[in-house]
Amino acid sequence: MRLKVVLVSLVAVVSIILIGSKPLRLGLDLRGGASFVLEARSDDGRPLPVAALRETRRVVERKINAYGVSEATVQPYGAAGDRLLVQIPGSVADLSRVRASLQRQGVLEWFAVMDGPFAGSDEPLRARGGVLGAGERLLTTGAGSSGAAWYIVQASPLIRGDELRNARAEPDAYGGWSTSFTLSTGAGARFARYTEANLGRRVAIVLDGAILSVGAIEDRIQSEGRIRGARSLAEAEDLAILLRAGAIPAAIHIVEEASLDASLGADSIRQGIVAGMAGVAAVVTVLLITYGRAGINATATLLLNGLLLLALLIACDAVLTLPGIAGLILTAGMAVDSNVLVFERIRELRIRQTDAAAVQSGFRRAWATILDTHVTTLISCAFLFWFGTVAVKGFAVTLGLGLVTNLFTAVFVSRLLFEWGLRRGRQVF
Amino acid sequence: MNINFLRHSRVCLAVSAILVASAIASLCLKGGPRYGIEFTGGVLLQAELDQAPDLARLREELATQAPGATAVAGSAASHHLLSVTAPATVEPGKLRASLEHALTNSGARFTVRSFEGLGPQIGAELRRQALVATAVASAGMLAYVALRFEFIYGAAAVIAVAHDAVVTLGALSISNQEVTLNVMAALLTLVGYSMNDTIVIFDRLRENRMLLKDWPVRELVALSISQTLRRTLLTSGLTLIAVLALLLFGGAVLRGFALTLTIGLVVGTYSSIFIASPIVIWRGRRG
Repeated sequence: MRLKVVLVSLVAVVSIILIGSKPLRLGLDLRGGASFVLEARSDDGRPLPVAALRETRRVVERKINAYGVSEATVQPYGAAGDRLLVQIPGSVADLSRVRASLQRQGVLEWFAVMDGPFAGSDEPLRARGGVLGAGERLLTTGAGSSGAAWYIVQASPLIRGDELRNARAEPDAYGGWSTSFTLSTGAGARFARYTEANLGRRVAIVLDGAILSVGAIEDRIQSEGRIRGARSLAEAEDLAILLRAGAIPAAIHIVEEASLDASLGADSIRQGIVAGMAGVAAVVTVLLITYGRAGINATATLLLNGLLLLALLIACDAVLTLPGIAGLILTAGMAVDSNVLVFERIRELRIRQTDAAAVQSGFRRAWATILDTHVTTLISCAFLFWFGTVAVKGFAVTLGLGLVTNLFTAVFVSRLLFEWGLRRGRQVF
Repeated sequence: MNINFLRHSRVCLAVSAILVASAIASLCLKGGPRYGIEFTGGVLLQAELDQAPDLARLREELATQAPGATAVAGSAASHHLLSVTAPATVEPGKLRASLEHALTNSGARFTVRSFEGLGPQIGAELRRQALVATAVASAGMLAYVALRFEFIYGAAAVIAVAHDAVVTLGALSISNQEVTLNVMAALLTLVGYSMNDTIVIFDRLRENRMLLKDWPVRELVALSISQTLRRTLLTSGLTLIAVLALLLFGGAVLRGFALTLTIGLVVGTYSSIFIASPIVIWRGRRG
């Protein structure tokens, strides 16, 4: 028994530490924010295959990150996983700008570098005496890990995205990583002439007006070439993905859009909490009136269940949405039911048995029922999770986790509380 | 408590038949449930205004900016609310711009509190996916109950749950309540709840059957219902209290959800006793 008490206290303490470690993530339907569902379609109007989605996703991520919104996410969406869900929590200042940027096609171009890098945007101008030459453009890498760098490039591109055939990351001869690419035949012939005549000159690879990478021409490149200088496989891989993305002639359509004012989200959270507390207070009152001392046990296990579930949701990095709250309500209902089932059994058995015996067999007999109801509901949760939409999944996750914690609190912990009470010579009810 | 619930089982079956029939009638007459835009496609814009909107002027503007759009005004404690819905004719973003334009032209000063829009194709897809998930989940529950008890028990439980879902959908249809994503979540909740309720009775029935081998099925079922009645009333009552709290304090966003759950709870408790149990008796008498 002492071991069991230690176990329960340990679980409770770990839960409290987890809850204190970070807040529960709330869905956009509770906290407010904007979400977009994107569909990438090729030029003939058909949706892109799932295989090409990774590239599109990376491009969209870059666009969203350019706005500096933290916590924005891009993930596959839809039954076939061929769409992208973009979620931007909090209040979004300029929705129409985000929308326009999302719909803009990813444009990949390679430019000849004339001068650079410069640390600021006014330095290149100073170097040119105030005016850029005809046919020159100023481009920047954007604020990256090493800070923004500015380059003057030739305005007309050397290579366009649709002239790239493929790109992939590979190890190079020096133990580092590089990204190899393949050009179309026409572009290959053009690039061969250019690289032969311009050895040592640099080339900037530009996506949507921002420089991805700058490299010097070390050799004549025809249709196959390599970009060296990646610091890791991930970096080389990322460049390959972006190069391929630039090669996909896809237009992005926003097929679903939602936004919720953050204050409205705050309203529904506040109302939800008030409703939840009123509900819990009423339920606890009735439990205490009906079952007396055992009602205290029930209340304690219900609260512990709430604690465990919250900790588990945080540990799983789950996102709580409105349908998720529906799952919580059913969990609470079933948790109350488990307690009632056990107490009613004990009440029945106590007519003919001692308190201790009634508690023993009460738990044993109610266990079969509790297990059946929980397994049935868990099965339905599993199917809802597999086949359901995002919203239905949210319901299945909170309910499924809640049922597991309830088996622990309403059976194991509750029984422990009863036995502890009996040992101190207290009445059951 | 010893009340013979089954004495009136014919009356109850008749009541259920009427409920189901009127639910189906309402659903048929209105062309299926009134789905929210999540399931049909379209846009819904909710705005907060500093004064009551000039609806006549707004409707005129809407007719030119976004044909087919409808506007409904409401009011909350301190401000005026307006919700505008429109069918999905163009991309949601463009439609939103048109609606906002119409609002501005009608002379309203407003802030958009929420916006939601999706194409009809996606709506149909979400509807199908939700249906498939529910069907598969029900099949899974039937399989488990059939395995743990007997096939007829699984079938009875699923029939009872289907009865609850149809009656609740019918009630929503009659009261013109929209089936939104949240209402869908409430329907899933009530399915789980009703299943739970039925299994509790069945479990007691299985136990009694082993203890009292020579009793007729009818008496066994009646005994099991009586034995679990206090639990049924307490649990249902307690859950109802919690859901009523949600209905009273949960705010507008949760209203459809809470209303569905309230109806579903009552029907779900009823069906375990008056639908699932008679099916088991009826089958037991024949087998």
